[in-house]
Amino acid sequence: MTRRTLTAAERGDRRFAVLAASPAVLTIGALFLYPLGYAVLLSLYRLNDKMPGATAFIGLENYVQLATDANFHQALGRTFVFCLVTVFGGVALAVGIAALLQNPFRGRNLARVLLLVPWAVPPVVNGIMWKLIFDGSYGAVNAVLEGLGLLDAPIQWLADPQLTMGVLMLSEVWKLTPFLALMTIASMQAIPSNIYRAASIDGAGGWDRFWKVTLPNLRGTLMFLLIVQSMWSIKVFDTIYVLTGGSGGPAEATTTINFLAYLTTFSYLDRGYGAALSITIMAIVIAVTGFWILVLGRRKEKAS
Amino acid sequence: MALSPRSATRRGVATRRRVLGAGATAGALGLSACVMPGSERASGRGAGASAPLAPDGSDHAGTEISILDDNTNLVFKQGLIEQFEAETGIVVKNYEMANFNDLHDRFATAFAAQDASIDVVMTWAGWSAEFGQAGWLQELAPDAIPEDLIRPALDAVSWDDTVFGLPKFASVQTMFWNQEHFAEAGLDPETVPETWDEFVAAAKATTVDGRYGYCCDIGNPAGAYQNFLRSLLLAGGELYDADWIPQLDSEAGIEGLTKMVELLHVHKAMDPTSLQITNASDLIEIFAQGRTSTVFNWPFQWASAVAEDAATSAGTTGNGLIPGIAVRTSSIDGSEGYAISTFSQHKQAALKWLQFAASATAQKEIVEQEGWLPVSRTILEDPATLETLPVVETYQEATQHPVERYGTPWSNELDQLLSVQIFRAMNQEAEPAQALQAAQQELLPIVEKYMG
Repeated sequence: MTRRTLTAAERGDRRFAVLAASPAVLTIGALFLYPLGYAVLLSLYRLNDKMPGATAFIGLENYVQLATDANFHQALGRTFVFCLVTVFGGVALAVGIAALLQNPFRGRNLARVLLLVPWAVPPVVNGIMWKLIFDGSYGAVNAVLEGLGLLDAPIQWLADPQLTMGVLMLSEVWKLTPFLALMTIASMQAIPSNIYRAASIDGAGGWDRFWKVTLPNLRGTLMFLLIVQSMWSIKVFDTIYVLTGGSGGPAEATTTINFLAYLTTFSYLDRGYGAALSITIMAIVIAVTGFWILVLGRRKEKAS
Repeated sequence: MALSPRSATRRGVATRRRVLGAGATAGALGLSACVMPGSERASGRGAGASAPLAPDGSDHAGTEISILDDNTNLVFKQGLIEQFEAETGIVVKNYEMANFNDLHDRFATAFAAQDASIDVVMTWAGWSAEFGQAGWLQELAPDAIPEDLIRPALDAVSWDDTVFGLPKFASVQTMFWNQEHFAEAGLDPETVPETWDEFVAAAKATTVDGRYGYCCDIGNPAGAYQNFLRSLLLAGGELYDADWIPQLDSEAGIEGLTKMVELLHVHKAMDPTSLQITNASDLIEIFAQGRTSTVFNWPFQWASAVAEDAATSAGTTGNGLIPGIAVRTSSIDGSEGYAISTFSQHKQAALKWLQFAASATAQKEIVEQEGWLPVSRTILEDPATLETLPVVETYQEATQHPVERYGTPWSNELDQLLSVQIFRAMNQEAEPAQALQAAQQELLPIVEKYMG
């Protein structure tokens, strides 16, 4: 490898480039790296604001405690179930919607625009909306079901732990699927039409074309969708907060790991343990991302 | 100049190392500039905590203060602030009202960040204990407490024999019933049920046509705690013994919770919506709209029930003591107050605000305009107060019996773990005794942690 000596002008250009990029780098550092570093530092301390006298550096003790914390394990289980439904359900639904909207029909453009509406709704409004829809005394769902004669007495959707988790999953899928579907539509449009024509000539039906042409060509997009939806699902917070009045209830049914980190840090004022929880959540997100890349990432072909 | 591959690689690595080294140094400097977790400043003790605050007698005209309040009282914004400024010359630069459910986290964030821009914060028994123990609230000296103040009201702003603020209103739950519903059910609308059995009979009789005889707010952890505590007290129990050992699974606790479960499942007189109502305001609304016949609620229920747009009125709303299970009655306290942030730079001016809010001037407005109970003895004993607010009579009766709240530094942890078990019992997934034993086992180490 040879390196060419830079001219004075090129060195000046490089200095200018570094100077021009430095505000952005400093901003990212201030808003991301600094808080991250401080969170790591906090996680190594016993720091409960309600026990100011007990503050001490304890190394990895918070992480050791996490490993045996039953509350954390339960929250992890809830998060896993929530992710299973919202990630696979959301992505499957998105691919289905995208496939439907690929076919030409009257009003297709309008349907694509309308698809964006849930995505445009702010998360807090989304939470309030579903809370009203599933309200036990004046919610629309009970009214419809009673109107159809399917219910004798109203169901208390948000008072039953299992039902509340169901409502939470539904609201998240409703909110995030449009974005996933839009990404899928864009990706589908990039698949050359001649492949479909060739497949049709070979006698492939609609279902075969979807399985053998569309899906393989969506591999990269699907990986991206699974990664972002996994991240969103693990980090879900705002909808839970609004839907449950800030409690993660009923009976902790919607207390996922991220909500537990919030409760620990802000409700119990245990900032050291809360930071350890947050860093663990970050590690989980990275691990899940790595998993999807490992499963769906393109493998390099070996050079023959 | 051409470099050998090895030299080029070395130079590249060296440059990268220098860049990484500079980045690491910058990061370390940044972290060292922030408040270190182990420092005195991080706990708040080193920032401004000082000796108990006493009035210094000097004039603080022109001093600016900021107040962060909940959205319970509109009277301050509607004239009392102006009155305070005119009386003292102190300027209320910023008076912000926020939703009660959001305030705890805002305070926690502001205090942890040692935010000096907030001088006065709203508080109640739980927060006084929690934030007081954290060293975030300024302790008050005895001579900062007005003579006219009703002493029991100090419970809401105290913890561990330390006073951290002054109350802005007193609040005790009493029973409100819809006299029209009672009359329709063939009950005497003027007679308040005095025992639990009488109450259950009335609640069952008024449960008709999809409308329930009783409704409450168990939908969030704080609500679950309040409703359980009230039942425990009505059954003659106490939440802690003299050494702060929890008594969740005492006979009284189990009996109290059993009565709640029976009301929902056996007598079917409790509105199932109770399990998803997350604040008292919604409960107030349900009663005022005539959608339930009986509630145990805060004094403000009266003002709402007699409002112009309510389905109820002064002539159709009954008010009396909550019927007891093993005792004649008892109740829970919901008084609120103001406290001064440890990080405030204007503590003397802030103290003037606290004293003004507890004064007869402000208390008169709080009673007349909003229907809360006064913390000023002058106003409480004024005949005009009783005329304005009939619930005052019930309040005075109720305070002859046990009225507790048990605000502690671990209130949030208790609310959370107890609500899980209350829901298990209310949803019949566990017997009350079994649920409360589980809660007791969870609570013991938490209390131990804080009380040492």
